[in-house]
Amino acid sequence: MTSSHTHHLQVCRTCGGGAPVDVHFCPSCTKILTLGRQGDYFSFLSLPRKLNLDPALIEQKFRALSRQFHPDYYYNATPTERRASLERSSYLNDAYRTLRQPASRVAYLLEVEGVLKPSDHEAAKKVPASLLEEVFALNEELDDVREMRASGAPEDAWRARLATAAGPIEAKRAEHEAQLQELSTRWDALQDGDDAGRQAVLNALRERVLERNYINNLLATIEREATGTGGPQL
Amino acid sequence: MSKVVGIDLGTTNSLVAYVTDAVPFVIRDRSGDAMVPSIVSASSDGTIFVGREAQRRLITDSTRTVYSAKRFMGKGIDDVHEEARLLPFQVAGEPGGVVRIGLGEREFTPPEISAFVLRELKRRAEEYFAAQGDIDPTVDRAVITVPAYFNDAQRTATRDAGRIAGLDVLRIINEPTAASLAYGLDKKNHGVIAVYDFGGGTFDISILRVEDGVFQVLSTNGDTHLGGDDIDMLVVEAILRDLASASPRHRLPADFAADGTPERIQQIRKAVIQAKWDLSDRDETELLGVTLSRATFESMIRPVIERTLEPCRQALADAGLQPGQVDEVVLVGGSTRIPLVRRLVGDLFGRKPHTELNPDEVVALGAAVQADILVTGNREMLLLDVTPLSLGIETMGGVVSKIILRNSTIPATGSEMFTTGVDNQTAVDIHVLQGERELVQDNRSLARFRLRGIPPMPAGMPRVQVQFQIDANGILSVTASELRTNVEASIEVKPSYGLTDDQVEQMLIDSFEHAEADFAARMLIEARNEAESVITATEKTMRAPEFPTIVAEELAEGELKRIEQALAGLKHVIKSEDREAIQQWTTVLNEATQHLAEVTMNRSVRAALAGKSVDGL
Repeated sequence: MTSSHTHHLQVCRTCGGGAPVDVHFCPSCTKILTLGRQGDYFSFLSLPRKLNLDPALIEQKFRALSRQFHPDYYYNATPTERRASLERSSYLNDAYRTLRQPASRVAYLLEVEGVLKPSDHEAAKKVPASLLEEVFALNEELDDVREMRASGAPEDAWRARLATAAGPIEAKRAEHEAQLQELSTRWDALQDGDDAGRQAVLNALRERVLERNYINNLLATIEREATGTGGPQL
Repeated sequence: MSKVVGIDLGTTNSLVAYVTDAVPFVIRDRSGDAMVPSIVSASSDGTIFVGREAQRRLITDSTRTVYSAKRFMGKGIDDVHEEARLLPFQVAGEPGGVVRIGLGEREFTPPEISAFVLRELKRRAEEYFAAQGDIDPTVDRAVITVPAYFNDAQRTATRDAGRIAGLDVLRIINEPTAASLAYGLDKKNHGVIAVYDFGGGTFDISILRVEDGVFQVLSTNGDTHLGGDDIDMLVVEAILRDLASASPRHRLPADFAADGTPERIQQIRKAVIQAKWDLSDRDETELLGVTLSRATFESMIRPVIERTLEPCRQALADAGLQPGQVDEVVLVGGSTRIPLVRRLVGDLFGRKPHTELNPDEVVALGAAVQADILVTGNREMLLLDVTPLSLGIETMGGVVSKIILRNSTIPATGSEMFTTGVDNQTAVDIHVLQGERELVQDNRSLARFRLRGIPPMPAGMPRVQVQFQIDANGILSVTASELRTNVEASIEVKPSYGLTDDQVEQMLIDSFEHAEADFAARMLIEARNEAESVITATEKTMRAPEFPTIVAEELAEGELKRIEQALAGLKHVIKSEDREAIQQWTTVLNEATQHLAEVTMNRSVRAALAGKSVDGL
């Protein structure tokens, strides 16, 4: 047994036996395992670490595992099994929520591949160089819209202006979505062992994801302006 | 074995249900009534009345009679000032603390008021099981339903109510989800279901996908302060305005209480509710001397009902669905009997809603199904519910940082890293909130935690991971540990609008000391009274001159002996304090004399008819 295997070994709290990673029930005593060392959301659901996943497959895996873990089925079980059921159900639900949406799926993949930290999303508040021009233009437009509203301009007029301001940003987002899709397909086609290729795709994905977060923030700001709830200056 | 029941603890009415041989049914009282009005009243000698009897006292003893207590569950006094205005009973409490409700000379929290109702349901179920001849009729565990849009504080208050009533609450489930279970029983098909639940005090909408027996909630939305009560209040206020005007159209009957008294408001409210019910089947009715057409009524209440439509659209959007993608619409709650509600909901989803099951009973039936799943481990069906509101913590500048988003399938976890601001700081304060808004002040404060036991380190060095766990009931728990030293930090919980465990424990003890005692005393008196009347009736029949003839001509071999034994048995136990024995012997005597009563009745009817015909000649 190699050291990496022992590292991933789970211990059954019911019988003390060992179990491989991503196995949910103890091979010796068949009881549900508490959540010890596990792989990642992909492996937990026995899904490949890919970005284009069949939504129906995710749903089906989620339902099947829910039926195995849910606390409702462990009311008469031992405290250890009940805890295990709660832990495993919670982890399953978190995994399902993360992987079912393509946007959170790609962010999660970058995290488990070690190229994106949760705190990097905060860094997305800084304007990416590639968007400087658009952000500058948008800020001016928003100032104008606020002025129009303050001076009592008709709603149709300022809304039309806001829609015009959103145009270039929405175009940028569409462009980003296409790039992300193309990169996702490339990632899924990569073979194991092609480390250089993998790193290049991951880095490119990371850039796109951070930029897209920024674009979404911009669009949310425009939306807030439109619904009249205002918002912080960019 | 003791029983696990399903309970629908409603704003207006509560019900208890049970599953036998995989079929859920509602447990009724002897007169066939399924509903226990969620009303509690105290007489001047301190006796507590619950249900129908308390409902009668709404008119005679308004200030000592509490209704709609569910609206105050998990609330602070600041939340409820406005609506307490029209209520005849006292609603008070310390600012920032739980609501306290005056019931006669005593004060109770909303969970304690609800516990009276739960105890009545528990008693009703135990009586039923005893009558069935169950060896252990005790009911000590329950699944209790709550509106899907209830927050953590309201769910916890409901669980506390159960504990105070002596019930181990195995599970809190959402009312619309429970209803879908009851509907899903006989149809194993799959598809998207919208459950529209408009009850006495709350409104919920849940969108579910059913597949392979898994009932997965995709999204939920609602308003915990919108229900039939609001419709009633709207009309009551209109009548009060009219009565105060120079030339009122409405006329109050002479037996109504004096102007300005709570009793009068209750009398008007009762008339309004009757008119509302009438207009569900008829085009017009009379309300306090004024003809009220359905059209006029609908134009009055339309704004209230339209308030339910926006949550429906939001739930659809959150589920990522168009109205046309919903396969079935299910109506739950008494307020869905209003034709305008059915019409507007039908229009929104573009299909005729289901109304096959009694909208008052379907939630309790679903709760019983869930109780059965828990107890038997039956894996045919599985409920996967969501948390209705996002969970977050206060960060710098009074902004909320969300940790678990709304509509996340539960159980769910979330975690957040904290550190210290000054050297050797050993404690951190955390403020937990629930809601969708960005600023702390616009969300519901759930609790304040103090993390203690952080090992002394330079500022910014500790890495305290706080883990938030929402369980399958939608109730939050929090744990924390410092990652560098692996020290478990301890947490003190101060629920913002809830009770501490010690308080709940004390209330449970108090309820046994006070309420349980006078409740039991009253039950014993009632049982004795009933036994007394059966004994009197039996003895009267046996003293009648024609009794020997009846025995000779009509009764079967040994029937008289059985009656005499039952009579002797009941007369023996009636002197005891054993309410259950008195009730059991009353039932025995009732059954033994049933045939005799029929025979006697027939004879007297025949005699009366014969007498009449003689007179007629």
